[in-house]
Amino acid sequence: MPVITINKRYLARLLEGKTTDKSLEAQLSKLGLNVESINDSRISVEVTSNRPDLIWTVGLSRAIRHFVHRTRKVRYAVKGGDPAISINVGSSVGSVRPYIAGLVARGLKLDDDSLADFLASVDKFSDTFGRARRKIAVGMHNLDFVSGQLEYDAYGDEAFRPLGCDKELSYKEILEDTEKGRRYAGAITGAGKRQYPALKDSNGTLAFIPIINSERTRVTKSTKDLLIDVTGTSEYLINKTADLLAANFIDMGGEISRVQVNYGKRAVLTPQMSQDDIVVPIAAIEGDLGVKIGANNAATLGGKMGYAVSYTGSYMKFTVPAYRFDVLNDQDVIEDLAIAYGYDYIRPVPVRSVQQGSLDPLTIFRSRAEEGMIGLGFTQMMNSYLSNDALNFTKMRLEPDGSAVRIKNPKSEAITIMRTWIMPSLLKNISLSLNERSPLEAFELDMAFAMKGRKASEEYRLAAVSTDPKSNFNSIKSVFEALAGELGIAYGLKRLDHRSFIPGRCASILVRGKEAGLLGELHPEVLNNFGIEEATAALEIIL
Amino acid sequence: MALHRYERLVLSALKGSGALDLNSLTKACGIGTDEVLWALENLGRRGYVGISRTGVSEVTLTKEGAEYAKEGLPETRLLDKLREGTILVKELSGKDGQIGMQWAKRKELIRISNGAVMLSDRGVSAMEKGLDGERVLRELNRDSGSYGRLRKENGNVVSELIKRGLLSVKERQRISMVTLTDAGERAVDMNDEEGIGALDRSIIAGRAWEGKSFKTYDTDVQVEEAIGARRHPLARNIESIRRAYISNGFREVAGPVIDSAFWVFDSLFQPQDHPARDAQDTFYLSGLEEMEVGNKEYVRRVREAHTEGWHYRWDLDTAQEAVLRTHTTSVSARYIYDVLSGIGSGSSKRELPIKLFSLGRIFRNENIDYRHLADFYQSDGIIIGNGLTFANLFDTLIRLYSWLGAELRFKPSYFPFVEPGVEIYAYAERLGEWVEIGGAGMVRREITGMRRGGINVLAWGVGVERLMLLRNAGVKSIAELYNGGLGWARRMPIV
Repeated sequence: MPVITINKRYLARLLEGKTTDKSLEAQLSKLGLNVESINDSRISVEVTSNRPDLIWTVGLSRAIRHFVHRTRKVRYAVKGGDPAISINVGSSVGSVRPYIAGLVARGLKLDDDSLADFLASVDKFSDTFGRARRKIAVGMHNLDFVSGQLEYDAYGDEAFRPLGCDKELSYKEILEDTEKGRRYAGAITGAGKRQYPALKDSNGTLAFIPIINSERTRVTKSTKDLLIDVTGTSEYLINKTADLLAANFIDMGGEISRVQVNYGKRAVLTPQMSQDDIVVPIAAIEGDLGVKIGANNAATLGGKMGYAVSYTGSYMKFTVPAYRFDVLNDQDVIEDLAIAYGYDYIRPVPVRSVQQGSLDPLTIFRSRAEEGMIGLGFTQMMNSYLSNDALNFTKMRLEPDGSAVRIKNPKSEAITIMRTWIMPSLLKNISLSLNERSPLEAFELDMAFAMKGRKASEEYRLAAVSTDPKSNFNSIKSVFEALAGELGIAYGLKRLDHRSFIPGRCASILVRGKEAGLLGELHPEVLNNFGIEEATAALEIIL
Repeated sequence: MALHRYERLVLSALKGSGALDLNSLTKACGIGTDEVLWALENLGRRGYVGISRTGVSEVTLTKEGAEYAKEGLPETRLLDKLREGTILVKELSGKDGQIGMQWAKRKELIRISNGAVMLSDRGVSAMEKGLDGERVLRELNRDSGSYGRLRKENGNVVSELIKRGLLSVKERQRISMVTLTDAGERAVDMNDEEGIGALDRSIIAGRAWEGKSFKTYDTDVQVEEAIGARRHPLARNIESIRRAYISNGFREVAGPVIDSAFWVFDSLFQPQDHPARDAQDTFYLSGLEEMEVGNKEYVRRVREAHTEGWHYRWDLDTAQEAVLRTHTTSVSARYIYDVLSGIGSGSSKRELPIKLFSLGRIFRNENIDYRHLADFYQSDGIIIGNGLTFANLFDTLIRLYSWLGAELRFKPSYFPFVEPGVEIYAYAERLGEWVEIGGAGMVRREITGMRRGGINVLAWGVGVERLMLLRNAGVKSIAELYNGGLGWARRMPIV
């Protein structure tokens, strides 16, 4: 989940009043946001990934103001009338990055704090919720330097002067030679001749989208009027982002005008400031939460979460503010009401049921086998299911083969396969126990994995290892017989040649005529591989 | 106070003479040196004997020296061969032959002329007496010796053997003298007490104990550590969790470790472009065929929920990839679907509410080190019922984790498949802080497919290892719970 770092001075200004660290932390926590760190000048907050509106400091402060009732009524509305600007969407961009929305914000009074915060918020939003700008990206321009009809399309390689650069670069050069270009190159999926999405006005490129804006329209703190573009892969999401940005600029003192986007014959005006109404009976709210709230109280709670609420009889209508993305239906509204009500105040109520609990039969069988092994003097170990060829095969004098389930994306050589048997894990345990008093006897009953054709099999196995001068084939065989007796397993033993064991001192265990394990005295080379210097006998059974 | 037999022997031997050196003491006791040393250590600790030590240079055989002590020096073996007649130099091949000739030559035991080797006069007499060096080796093969004494008895031979790398010299503290203290003297007197020591069959069955007294034991005596086989501490914790579930009426179920992304992510409303699904966090597996996903109708519902909720093109192939489950919630997802589709089709006669839990390994693609693991345990629970409430969820969690003895708190949080969502915190007294132990919530209708106000589902997942950190002061990090040595498993207290 995204962590945002906020300038506390700016936040205090937005909250329009004094707050202490402690009360701020408590309020955020009640909203479900964890404070990661806080110092004299900054606060870092973890924002849940369903609330992109809270990634913006303006949005976060709005939520706190609503929550503590310290808010003036704000109408998040846009100026009607003719659109300020129009953007024609060209025919080539459809397969690359099909959607664009825009808005114009006028009369802003930016300063160092608010500008720095806004730029940081734009980056955080596009990186996280925008999935590194693949899904959504936001660009901004000084409106004074934008002129004429705007065109959004995919183009061939062209040059312009990107933001923060003292010379012209081509789109291709930006992707290959600049840090930003390399970082976000993955967001450009186009191929062929016209593969670079860009927004242009009559003077050329305004933005190479979604990589970088032009130096020509750089936004500074003296910029009063802004043009914002939002581009991406989902029309719904970019339009909602435009709504969210409009709300943010309104809170920053700006006035919003709409932008017309022409997709061929279809014209769309953004921001739309779309607001859904969600109607839900009070009984459903109380039924889900298990607390008596009452419609009047529910309306107050809704207001704390930014909804406009009205009700007639038992039906309540919640108008979802335009800046919210995540409210799909009544379930999301009910969660907001629960948050506003306070989880700490929800009194636990028992579930009525008269059922009996029960363990998985396999769990019961496993604990019987484990008790048996402990009774025989073996200490239980727990090891990772993950392994590597060296441990699972090579150290055991085996060739790595196709029997192991392989990790497709290993991060290190330590984890490349799922273990196919447990014995190597136990030998590793023994190798870490050489200072311990003999006998070194350990067992593990857990899972191992194997490829069966192109499917993976998962099985429970029991392995036991005994390291002691007196350990040999006979001693491990008597351990096995005692265990088999306890578990009521009928078995046969048959001489087995296995490279991990001394020739002539290994047997396979047959249960109903099928191989179900093996036991014997480990080959001294295997012991050398693990640094074990005493005779070691071992068994492994598939359960 | 009872003394061990060895301790008694030592004290009695000292009682006669007051003070003895180690050799005499050992002889007087009539037991081995190791036994005497063991007894001295115990007695010294209790202040019954005074032990004075001096530093000595102790000479022992090196590995090569030990070999020669058994087989003889290479030059001796050469002399043996020459006894049968002359040998040509070129016949003396091999390392052993070369070394033998070099040393025999240096000691003038042989003569060489015209490429032939023969015994010298000195060689002949050496053969009769035996070589000095060899005698030293044989002596040291029985027991180590002090450098000073060996030098006095054998002269330069010793330094020659050291130079040849056959002997090594180490500084050691050796016991030079043992004296009996007053406390020791009293202890001997007391130990002369009459009575039965160890019981045996004849004493018990033959009632030979009747009318006799028993010798007593020292309650402060140092005894050997008893080492029993035991269950793994983490396994004990897992037992506690299982016990809590079944005593609250839950039935245990299980599901695959290797599963499709569909059951691990998609069915839980986790969008396909979510960072948690990328290769940095999740283990993907290679070489497996397309994994099982839900039936057609369910896949359609999941596709619709993703498209409408997350605004992207949901892809079936991505859902069919094989992953190592990142939570046991995948098991819950299967059962939610199974139970509810059964109820939906009217085929299920199961009584509601249905309470299920699962417990098993989960995986994160982490760089492993002493603090970070790639596999852990998690337990997941669900209740499927009519009109279940958020308040029911809190109550259930409090009951399930009451055995922790820690207060629980619930904080709002977000998980894609539940609404409302909760983070569960437990107060860790020994850390003095609230620790997050898991997440919970009411499962979205998009996943259950049920209508509002009807059947709903409570779900939660709680880590297992964290709980141990909360309770067990001995556990420093989660990583030490796995892949460790027997010492840890033998001694870590179980809380």
